[in-house]
Amino acid sequence: MLKRYPTLRYILTRAGWYLVTFMVAVTINFYLPRLGTSNPVDIIMAKVGAGLDTEAAKEKEEAYLKEFGLVELDKSGEIIRNESGKPVRTPTWKQFRNYVLMVMKGDLGTSFLNYPKKVGDMIKEAVPWTLAIQIPTIVLGWIIGNVLGALAAYRRGVFDKIFMPFSLFISAVPYFAVGMILVYLFAIVWNIFPAVGGYAGGLIPTFSLSFFSSVIYHYVLPFFSVFLILAGGQAIGMRSMCIYELGTDYIKYAKWLGIKENKILFYMFRNAMLPQLTGLALSLGLMVGGALITEMIFSYPGLGMAVLTAIQGNDYPLIQGCTLLITVCVLVANFTVDIMIGFLDPRVRAAYGGK
Amino acid sequence: MKRLNCLKLFFTGVLLCGLFSCQNSRKGSAEVDFPREKTLYLAGFQWGDPNTFNPLSDWPAFPVGGNFNLMYEPLMVYNTLNGEMEPLLASSYEKTDDVISVMMDPRAKWSDGKMVTASDVKFTYEIGKQYPSAPTSFVWDYVATVTVDTVTDTTEEGRSIEKVNFIINKEKRNNPLVVMDFLQAVRIVPKHYFTSLLDSLNGEFSELQKLKIDKDPVVSGPYNLLTYSGEKIVLKRRNDYWGNAALYGNRLPKPEYVIHPIYKSNDAFSISLQQGNLDVSSTFIPRIWMKQKEGVSTWYKKEPYFVPAAITMLVVNTTRYPLSDSKFRQAMAAAVSYKDIRELAFSQYSPPLQPGLVMPFGVEEKYFAVDDVQKYGITYDIEKAKKLLAESGVKSVFGSDGKLSHMENSKGEKLPTLFIKSPAGWSDWEAMVRIAVQGMREAGIDVREGFLDASLYWQAMPNGDFDLLMHGPSVSVTPSQPWSRFEAVMSSRNWKAVGEKMNENQGRYNNPDSKDYNAAVDSLLRLIPTITDDDQRREAYRALNNIFMQDQPTIPLVYRPEQFYEFSTKKWTNFPTEENPYAPPQCLCFGVGTKSLWEIKSTAEQE
Repeated sequence: MLKRYPTLRYILTRAGWYLVTFMVAVTINFYLPRLGTSNPVDIIMAKVGAGLDTEAAKEKEEAYLKEFGLVELDKSGEIIRNESGKPVRTPTWKQFRNYVLMVMKGDLGTSFLNYPKKVGDMIKEAVPWTLAIQIPTIVLGWIIGNVLGALAAYRRGVFDKIFMPFSLFISAVPYFAVGMILVYLFAIVWNIFPAVGGYAGGLIPTFSLSFFSSVIYHYVLPFFSVFLILAGGQAIGMRSMCIYELGTDYIKYAKWLGIKENKILFYMFRNAMLPQLTGLALSLGLMVGGALITEMIFSYPGLGMAVLTAIQGNDYPLIQGCTLLITVCVLVANFTVDIMIGFLDPRVRAAYGGK
Repeated sequence: MKRLNCLKLFFTGVLLCGLFSCQNSRKGSAEVDFPREKTLYLAGFQWGDPNTFNPLSDWPAFPVGGNFNLMYEPLMVYNTLNGEMEPLLASSYEKTDDVISVMMDPRAKWSDGKMVTASDVKFTYEIGKQYPSAPTSFVWDYVATVTVDTVTDTTEEGRSIEKVNFIINKEKRNNPLVVMDFLQAVRIVPKHYFTSLLDSLNGEFSELQKLKIDKDPVVSGPYNLLTYSGEKIVLKRRNDYWGNAALYGNRLPKPEYVIHPIYKSNDAFSISLQQGNLDVSSTFIPRIWMKQKEGVSTWYKKEPYFVPAAITMLVVNTTRYPLSDSKFRQAMAAAVSYKDIRELAFSQYSPPLQPGLVMPFGVEEKYFAVDDVQKYGITYDIEKAKKLLAESGVKSVFGSDGKLSHMENSKGEKLPTLFIKSPAGWSDWEAMVRIAVQGMREAGIDVREGFLDASLYWQAMPNGDFDLLMHGPSVSVTPSQPWSRFEAVMSSRNWKAVGEKMNENQGRYNNPDSKDYNAAVDSLLRLIPTITDDDQRREAYRALNNIFMQDQPTIPLVYRPEQFYEFSTKKWTNFPTEENPYAPPQCLCFGVGTKSLWEIKSTAEQE
């Protein structure tokens, strides 16, 4: 029946696949951190156990195991013990069931390492910063990189000869190196931009002009540290795509017809852009975790550092919360691009039209 | 070429925008919420999101946990320079064999105007008796009861003064030294505030521990929490702090705000200090002398720059052969170049290391016996290491290329390579381990670096799951030092086999069930806290230190400071230093170091 609506059929099929991917990803996200031998409560006990007597430390440890839902409890809420008196650990499948039930209620749980802070609150506080630094950088880097790449392919000549090696060079430099060079030059040697933080230390976030100008001022270096590399990488990809498109018959035909240069450029751009769109989706999806290096170099607010410490400390709820967010971002971004491609690319529609 | 021009225009535009916004915020800097000349920035105590400010939870954020005196205050404070207890909520203390008593300062007040009384002290301690998960639960092995007497003060207009008695728990620990530690470590909380909270939660203590207590907390200290986020914690001065009149001659602490920025990398501390955006820091910054021209300073102007307070060491698992042999352990100790560790790995932030567990300076200098150290102590000497190794019966086998291949026992069986566990990424420790490995291999001891994830390191330590392990036990300077350092290294009172958790003596030295158990170690560790005679105490420490040097249960590598106290003189001056030692080298929020807040001067004020 849906054969008459190829685009809708295409979207529904994709949605089905994404749902399956989502469930698999959530399961993997849950089991992966638990595969190692280290145990979150041991790490916490290293923090609070020093100076405690062995018995007192054991009591405390059991209190945490109970609080974090890592041991089996009987009906009266007491810890179930085996013959040697050790608490019986909750099997992983049971933890998984509890986790899924909680997530369905919208509760991401309490962080172990930041106890008693809620994972939901931590994400809520940090995500706006991560999105604010990443979305403009990725989108601008993508647009400008693609435009420059297309130009380089179309115009060739001196511009291409200078631009191409420069892009190759810059896209091969790791983020942290660019970040550190920028900090060294602009913050330490010339001291014209701040090196540390998302806004001036003497401010608290409010909707005021002084706060926003401080945010923009602090945003310059982190922005360029990612932007330059991203734009360079996109430009290289776009340039090769465009060179391929330029050799196709339709461009030759259009040129032969004497169509305006701008119009030809637009045709070429639209067709060469399709694979680049998928790249955009991927980088938008991965941005939550991807800001880590930028965050560390500039001590910029965001979620990346929290994810890193969570992984180092086996903070299961926080890892799960963050990976869930990353999963959702990647899938939503990809799904959006799939839909866009469905509309932009007639071949896709044709394939699902079932001719 | 038109498009090229467009591009130029675009980039110039971007640059101009950046410069414009920069200009803008330079001009706008007068509008900040916390004026720079009234704000002290200090950092290094809070890593990651502040979790809670509840003083009854296990690891609250700065400045509630730890030895910080800005919000909640202890009874007394310990001056790490001279070993004296100084008054805070209590004005004096008395100590006998059976009881330690403090006289409450009747002028002390909570921020809601109520008096700080002996019942607050009793509540803070007794909540640990009632609820095992409370932070004060462990005091009850050392304290039997807390009682209160009311005495009338004759010196000042007959005010009634309360005296709180901590009766030593003779049945269990009988350790007055640790009770002295409590006086300066346990922060007193307001009884009226927490009992009403507890009542509203139907007495559920675990629910109380989940509260964040971050809105107008009732405190007794000179600052209170104003606001916080993942980027910083802001404290505001309490102008009605009781101590301003009682302890500081009606003066206010100089900074109106104390801000603790939360940085994510070590470089941020160093850069911020040099740029004057951070005033006090407590992080390891290598080669601090390079930063002196930027106004960054430390306690000593020259090496060792910091005041040593603790010992970083290699803990040896004495249950595994050949580490179980004290000759072998001594051979390892003789093979480590302590000079290289100090100079190359630790930026010379330590005076030269002396053998043993007693440090030859500061408060514990009086327990240091030069003769003993010369007689029993092992120093760096590769030839001696080889000799000791031969005496232990372990033979090193070298390959045809002259490099060490492996070790054999006296029967000619091959011994497995030993590994030194140390958290990956702790760069100063990694460098120390590399130097130790290099020396030991040169002496013919088959040791390798075993860098591992920090979470696995923390798990390996209490379980005894290591050959050798980097560790810095007992870092805080308290009245019980150096006893607590000996206890942390040598005590087998809480003996547990490898695989079960032990929070001290992780190397399982001196197994009480073995036939060569040295009962003198544990009895000396029990005895020292109860000795009142100075000469006797010195002799007891001597005896214990001699056993340590002969048995070498761990291998001390380098001295380290209690905290890396670094400050920038760009915005504030008159910090305590060696030349101006009015307070100990503590980061102005910690212990006696807090009193520096009343003495520092803003550079803006001086102009």
